[in-house]
Amino acid sequence: MNAIPIELIHIVIAIALVAGFVGLNGLVLVWVERKVAGHVQRRPGPYEVGPNGLLQPLADAAKLVGKQLFTPDGSDKLVFWLAPIVSFLPVMPMFLPMPFSPFLTAMEVNVGLVLILAFAGLNILALCLAGWGSNNKYGLLGAGRAVAQGVAYEIPLLLSVLAVCFMTGSLSLTEIVAAQGNWPWQWNWIYQPIAFILYFTCGVAETNRAPFDLPEAESELVAGFHTEYSGMGFGLFFLAEYAEMIVVCGVATALFLGGWKGPGAAGAWWFLLKLYVLLVIMIWFRWTYPRTRFDQLLNLCWKWLLPLSILNLLVTALVIKL
Amino acid sequence: MTRTINPDYIRGDLYTQRFEQGKRENTLILNMGPQHPSTHGVLRVVLEMDGEYIVRAEPVLGYLHRMHEKMAEVKSYVGFMPNMGRVDYLHPLAWNWSYAGAVERLAGIEVPRRAEFLRVIATELNRISSHLLWWGAYLLDLGAFTPIMYAFEDREILMDILQRPTGARLTYSYFRLGGVGADMDERCLRQILDFVPYLRKKLPVYKDLVTDNVILRKRLEGVGDMDVDMCRRYGATGPILRGAGLASDTRLNETYSVYNEIDFDIPSFPETDAMARYMVRIREIEESLKIVEQAVAMIPEGEILIKGAPKPNWKAPAGEAYFATEGARGKVGVWVVSDGGKSPYRIKLRAPGFSNLSLFAEASQGTLLADAVAIMGSIDMVIPEIDR
Amino acid sequence: MSEQLARRFTTLCLAKGEYKKSGQAWVATLSPRDLPAAAQELLDAEFHIEDVCGLDISEGLMAVYHFDHFTRPGRVTLRVLADRDKPEIPTISHIFQGANWHERETNDFYGIIFTGHPNLIPLLLPEDADFHPLLKEEAARKNAAALLEKGEILDQAAGFTLFDAPVADAPIESGASGEGEAAGEGGK
Repeated sequence: MNAIPIELIHIVIAIALVAGFVGLNGLVLVWVERKVAGHVQRRPGPYEVGPNGLLQPLADAAKLVGKQLFTPDGSDKLVFWLAPIVSFLPVMPMFLPMPFSPFLTAMEVNVGLVLILAFAGLNILALCLAGWGSNNKYGLLGAGRAVAQGVAYEIPLLLSVLAVCFMTGSLSLTEIVAAQGNWPWQWNWIYQPIAFILYFTCGVAETNRAPFDLPEAESELVAGFHTEYSGMGFGLFFLAEYAEMIVVCGVATALFLGGWKGPGAAGAWWFLLKLYVLLVIMIWFRWTYPRTRFDQLLNLCWKWLLPLSILNLLVTALVIKL
Repeated sequence: MTRTINPDYIRGDLYTQRFEQGKRENTLILNMGPQHPSTHGVLRVVLEMDGEYIVRAEPVLGYLHRMHEKMAEVKSYVGFMPNMGRVDYLHPLAWNWSYAGAVERLAGIEVPRRAEFLRVIATELNRISSHLLWWGAYLLDLGAFTPIMYAFEDREILMDILQRPTGARLTYSYFRLGGVGADMDERCLRQILDFVPYLRKKLPVYKDLVTDNVILRKRLEGVGDMDVDMCRRYGATGPILRGAGLASDTRLNETYSVYNEIDFDIPSFPETDAMARYMVRIREIEESLKIVEQAVAMIPEGEILIKGAPKPNWKAPAGEAYFATEGARGKVGVWVVSDGGKSPYRIKLRAPGFSNLSLFAEASQGTLLADAVAIMGSIDMVIPEIDR
Repeated sequence: MSEQLARRFTTLCLAKGEYKKSGQAWVATLSPRDLPAAAQELLDAEFHIEDVCGLDISEGLMAVYHFDHFTRPGRVTLRVLADRDKPEIPTISHIFQGANWHERETNDFYGIIFTGHPNLIPLLLPEDADFHPLLKEEAARKNAAALLEKGEILDQAAGFTLFDAPVADAPIESGASGEGEAAGEGGK
């Protein structure tokens, strides 16, 4: 009888841990989002459930789980229910190569960055399926927007990431972090400021967060692609959005902000601190800015971000060559 | 498992069916509303969409129709006043005034001078609260969630102030035929005087935070042109007309009460777009503050209601009268026809929102869906007023 | 509005209103076929439409149009009387597009048919409404002279008798006077 390969056990444990991490952070992020929104809007935010409303996300989750799952008339049932799963599942492998600290990486993959970006692309497919499957005109328009926006913003995102890879000469997140120093001015955001800004902008657009939340623009498309979803169908999209936010900010932390490194004792806390600073900035965006218009969004990408990212890549390549 | 769909759902109602007759190829008919986050209540707009572009639009009204005009014919003159608080719940005092003014004009009632000033103060404060709510709700339409909370915070103070004399927070019935219902005491006037500098200090903050935001400007500038000629053909008034560059305001144009004794400007912006209408309303808040400040300073002592003011069994003299005031959304007109009985023979409520909204179909043609939302919001519609 | 402009309409009766008492500067009664031309004159003179109202009087169904000027105040009221059995008035929605909805509303409330209207379907009432809520019981109807401002008449067509009927509190017997009499409840 063959022994179970150690690799497999490793992956199973890693995925279980990642699932726990995503779930926990999802809950925390919901609380943070509502609390930040509250204070931005001069109100206390959640306050009743638990101390300072800390248990509010649990109450929300219980409500979502308890709701009836509703399939609209004339919808494509398989596609309709596949979409939330397709949206949520790819999030798990995206956390595997995430370098929380030198000793706390679920799986060392030497092309970790490629893995993350590849799985991130799947999200668009999920939104497309959701919009198409729900037999709803708002859903359809939302799906159309999601695809156009996702395809457009993926390109400058990749190009800005590539610039950092050129510098380090590696696609492994651990190595990229290891190549950076302990102090903020030794991190990549000093060497690649344009790439950092581009990456973060595209990251906000990739996760469909305001001011780029066009696929679900509530004042135009009611709720866009997830108009027809109830209960956990919506809940999964919701959780996937938060998980993607964590991934986008986590990659930004590793690529540009020195990952686990920091003044004093390096470790996972530095990673988490930087991660949450970026997340709060994203949340802050959402509660501050009005939504852009669709044509303006695409113009911004194709006319400004894309040429800029190509230029940035070329300059980086030239400087490295010299 | 296959489900059959009720064919009635697909066929649509009379309005959809008629709208579909002119449909082009490869377009999509989209029913926006009556339950949609940015149709502010229960407006429904049938849209023909070519992708994200609007080919044709037609508003469908009547989901909040309560037939106030029929109610008028069975109520007494005095008893109809509370209805006026419910026609436009954001600026009810303009309706109060139009109705009271029309009946007073019909019966030749002269309102005491103190009451005139109380009317001016209350109506202008109400106008500010209406504009503040519009501001918050409009930015909500444009995807900015936060300003409405700031607007409501300020509006709350106004509602506290108006609650003292009127006894209500939303659907005011403050006016009486021949005056007003209650006096504003020292404390109330002091609160008002405190509020004026408070809001003046807040407005520049809002300008920095919101009005100068580049995303907002890109969303509003050059969107939804409505010029003076269009306003004329559709009968659009108020901020839409002033946003088209014509400084016309019923308060001065067809002056009533003591407005001609008060020094204030009529803001107008010539750009004709949604941003111009936005700026007009923001400037109007400042002008209203100016009016309130002066009116509080000028208010004389005296009666607030004429002696022998109409009671529920009061009979109006036969005849007709039209009275128009400037509401937050434009010209609020009431036409009263009396046969000398206890209740009006006919009352027509001329709602500014009704005429203003009829522009939407023309203004939204060829724009993006997001622009349509921006245009709809810039009209500042209040559905109960439009449907009456 | 200048008198010059007012005289350009073909009217049955043109009168100067008492603005302070009724809010109307000019009051003109027109025959239905002259209405579009008058509306065009008003548009050319830069007037805007305020509203279109219906009125149920014993002489028939009346449509009342209010126009005003944006900068030079002076409300112009046009009155058009239609036959109760066949209440047809030409539309002005091609001249003043804003009249479109007002006419639909008046059609809802009174059943007045605006001929040539592009889309005369219920606006405020439900699509299957088969009643006109503002039509009055026959006993409650009053005649025009008892209700409307007569004004200072400048010009009057021969045979125009709308305001000559005796002003009485009691309802006029059906068929007693005026043009376009109705028998029974008009407009269903």
